Amino acid sequence: MTRHHPDSLTLMEYSAGNLTEPHALCIRLHLDQCSHCRSRVDTLDSLGAVMMEHQPKVDVSESMFDSILSRIDSDTGENEVVTRVINGMSPLQKLLGEDLDTLPWKRQLGDVSVLDISERFPGQSEQVVLQKLAAGGKAPAHTHRGEETTIVLQGAFADQKGVFNQWDCVVLNDSDEHKAVAVGCEDCITLSVLSAPVKLTGTFTRMLNPFIR
Amino acid sequence: MTTLEQKPARAEGRKDPWSQMLEKVGKHQDRQAYHALFEHFGPQIKYYAMANGLASHAEELVQEVFVSIWRRSCLYDWRKAAASTWIFTIARNQRIDMLRKMKRTSAEMQVETEDLWQIPGENEDEPVTSLHRLMSERRIRESLSHLPEEQITVIAKVYMENKSHQMVADELDIPLGTVKSRVRLALNKLKVILQDQNV
Repeated sequence: MTRHHPDSLTLMEYSAGNLTEPHALCIRLHLDQCSHCRSRVDTLDSLGAVMMEHQPKVDVSESMFDSILSRIDSDTGENEVVTRVINGMSPLQKLLGEDLDTLPWKRQLGDVSVLDISERFPGQSEQVVLQKLAAGGKAPAHTHRGEETTIVLQGAFADQKGVFNQWDCVVLNDSDEHKAVAVGCEDCITLSVLSAPVKLTGTFTRMLNPFIR
Repeated sequence: MTTLEQKPARAEGRKDPWSQMLEKVGKHQDRQAYHALFEHFGPQIKYYAMANGLASHAEELVQEVFVSIWRRSCLYDWRKAAASTWIFTIARNQRIDMLRKMKRTSAEMQVETEDLWQIPGENEDEPVTSLHRLMSERRIRESLSHLPEEQITVIAKVYMENKSHQMVADELDIPLGTVKSRVRLALNKLKVILQDQNV
């Protein structure tokens, strides 16, 4: 069961459509599984609608409506939008395929494997990293800079702050001391978005957050 | 849609005129209702486009939003969202989609805009929450007028100009913490923050 939720300010940025794509993906994956947060975002969307209503209005012409009508008149019978909504794969499957275990993981120190998927989000400055901590494994302590949003995709991990289960969201920053242990009998896989500029020069271990601090 | 027939009575009176119009579009492809929606929401969406830097594409965005409204209208369920909320999310998604397409080719986009921004569960049936949702929009509309101007300004910049909290802080030349506390105060008053802690 999900116990760690994104805060209201982050959900507001999501509702306004202001998050970067990888960050939005983390929130969307959480929303997929959390009716509590879906309901919070619904309310925030209503706030957006009311804000839009409160702004000035700009005239639209009748001729624009005519061009809209000719667009919908040229629609073919098949309603792609509806088909896509009904048959949609989860965004995670689209991005990574069915099986997280068969991804081309790169083994790092000890129990930790990583996969950098930043290039799947062209034009984004953030680093996007999948991390896998083997079942029962411990991640060595490490230091950390900047802010990082993480969502648990599989299994669970525990640190000083508590236990993070599947679909839990956690935001870590440089003030957090962090020593993670994979709990349960599954490997723990997380998706992390690192918002701060990252320097990988010299040490590769920077990529190992949140397991390594 | 069977539950619609089973429990219409209580909430029927809460259906606002725009939600009724949108429902007519979805069920009967009613073009008169569609035109009424265009006249009401078109000017709002055009302003939205202009406020967030799409001025030269404002009319294009209005068109995309309305074509999308037509195509998705059969999925609309007034018990789950008021028309204005539903249309706001379409406008937001189309704005994001337009900006993405300007920046890169579709081959580069592995994840579609809707994968990131369309709230899941459009087809799930959760009538118990609908009353709460419809009430929340009414409550927000009513209580917004009691908010201090400085809080409304911050929220408007976030939603209409699509500025992050950090960008709002830079523009207003106030600390990020002040922006965040204004937002929190506003969300508290609007009762958006129901439970920010673990549940």
